[in-house]
Amino acid sequence: MEMEFNACTKHKVVRNVVRDFAEAELRPIASDIDRAAHFPWEAIRKMGELSYFGLQAPAEYGGAGLDTISYCIVIEELSRVCAAVGLCVTVHNSVALYPILAFGTKEQKDRFLPDLCSGKRIGAFCLTEANAGSDAGGVETTAVKVKDGFLLNGTKIFVTNGGACGLALIFAVTDPASRSRGASVFIIESEREGFTVGEFEDLCGVRANPVCSLFIEDCLVPRENLLGQLGQGIRIGLTALDTGRMGIAAQALGLAQGAFEASVKYSRERQQFGRPISNFQTIQNYLADMETEIDAARLLLYRAAALKDAGVRFTAEAAKAKLFCAVLANKVTSLAVQIHGGYGYAKEYEVERYFRDAKVTEIYEGTNEVQRLVIARDILSRPV
Amino acid sequence: MNLVVCIKQVPAVAELEWDQRTGGLKRDLAQGMMNPACRNALEAALQLKADHGGAITVISMGPPQAEEILREALALGADWAVLLSDPTMAGADTLATSYTLAKAIKLVRRDFDLVLCGCYSSDSETAQVGPQLAEELMVAGVAYVETIEVLAPKIKGGRPTIRLSRQTDNFLETLELEPPGVLTVASSGFAPRHVDLSGIQPAFSSRDLIHLDAKKLGANPKLIGQNGSATRILKVYPSVIDKEGVVLKGAVKASVQDLFQLFGARLNGFVGQGYSPDD
Repeated sequence: MEMEFNACTKHKVVRNVVRDFAEAELRPIASDIDRAAHFPWEAIRKMGELSYFGLQAPAEYGGAGLDTISYCIVIEELSRVCAAVGLCVTVHNSVALYPILAFGTKEQKDRFLPDLCSGKRIGAFCLTEANAGSDAGGVETTAVKVKDGFLLNGTKIFVTNGGACGLALIFAVTDPASRSRGASVFIIESEREGFTVGEFEDLCGVRANPVCSLFIEDCLVPRENLLGQLGQGIRIGLTALDTGRMGIAAQALGLAQGAFEASVKYSRERQQFGRPISNFQTIQNYLADMETEIDAARLLLYRAAALKDAGVRFTAEAAKAKLFCAVLANKVTSLAVQIHGGYGYAKEYEVERYFRDAKVTEIYEGTNEVQRLVIARDILSRPV
Repeated sequence: MNLVVCIKQVPAVAELEWDQRTGGLKRDLAQGMMNPACRNALEAALQLKADHGGAITVISMGPPQAEEILREALALGADWAVLLSDPTMAGADTLATSYTLAKAIKLVRRDFDLVLCGCYSSDSETAQVGPQLAEELMVAGVAYVETIEVLAPKIKGGRPTIRLSRQTDNFLETLELEPPGVLTVASSGFAPRHVDLSGIQPAFSSRDLIHLDAKKLGANPKLIGQNGSATRILKVYPSVIDKEGVVLKGAVKASVQDLFQLFGARLNGFVGQGYSPDD
């Protein structure tokens, strides 16, 4: 795999196109939808028409067929303006659509992918429960084999896109006796009997994303909705998360980039002691560190993305990218508020939203601690 | 319909710095974007193609970086993309630019119906290339077009007649044009669409850019680039507002009296003949 450090023309075009869209359609509403915790249906509908919900899916299903670096650029540019929408798009693409692409039968792909690609159905992946966060083995949702398929029961919490999803991938225990081979993934259409959307979570950040609980009560799911093999749940989950981690890393990167740009702009305009604060070495040091680390984060992420496209194992690289970008986003957004001073703490400026949005990137799709486990495992598995 | 759209890559900044030494814009460091008005022109072409069929060829004169906007145009639905790029084309004013574009159009799309351009560019804002292009191509030209209607041909089997409305000061003028012609599209018409992401990969994989340098174009070296420029920017400087306003304070009647004392000679004609502050 050759390394290219300067963006090729295609990646520049992807970036310009998405930035234009985000500035025109998301920038004007980002603050309001955050304050009201309102999911921007109209913008989402437009994005569906522009293929944002089938970024890497093949054209035959209505997808854009983009490479993984392009995918990361899309998420980064959306999140640079509105991280809640960036989150919606990455979760839909990486952990809802991608597993169907990777593990689905032809019939399932024909049945589910077109609606997902067009954004007609927004996707969600449901793993987390009250007793199962980092410990996915603690999942208690069950899927019992019955005459017409499987009967599912359980409650999923903190489901990203949950309140808007038309399709949910449910991680359920199918063989309670076996710990590692005991789980499977089922595809549930939101209109199915026994599937209820719960209250929306009142979150610190990414508030415009309809994160909620999902109640699954005696939900009968036909055999045709089992994704992959029975007992393949863990494998599907981990595969989904590998790609999902890059999407979250891209989201975190976008947050950092947006906060950084706001800081540069503000430091040029704000005058104290008779000059712009960008004249002061302390501010210059902050800006220099921010840009250097953002550059490093971007290269780390693109390296993982390039490995995926080369068909090479990229689990540890994706974990490193996610860890690094999430930590960076928190550092940069906090510094951005600091550079803005008192104004940075007020909702009149956007940086406080970036600061609030950044925190969760260290938590979901694998906490910082879990990423470190993955990386350490990779280090220690190497031959001595 | 055989449509040609001329597009320009401009710096993607709110305000571009002028290099006071050379009189040129400091373009080098800035990220590029498609000139906003060119987007309107491209949108007009896309709508015409959707309604009446045909093909769109986009042409841009610029450094190799201009490929970005050509690919974006392909992603939006253009069929062919031509990049006119050559170091000798640099430093062109609008005359040299129009000559170069016309050369390309005559070479690649001789039998065009319409050439569409944005009304002006966001960096130079001369609005000259469109009309100069019409002259170079020796066809009719209409600037600031807001709406385009395609009517039945006047002669059976001939080209359709184009009915246009275009802005002039405070009113719209309706004109009819028999193709071929050059139109510049006003920013008020044809709101540009967003790029569908599914158009991007095909824009790179299914089409090659047609790259023409000065030699392939058969361009006269004396008429392109800096050599072919009839105008030269002598000096660039920021405008300084140095008018001092006069603030009249005090009671209304006293202020009005002061006003007439200071500016009476200039005011009389506007306020009314023989008006006096005591009226």
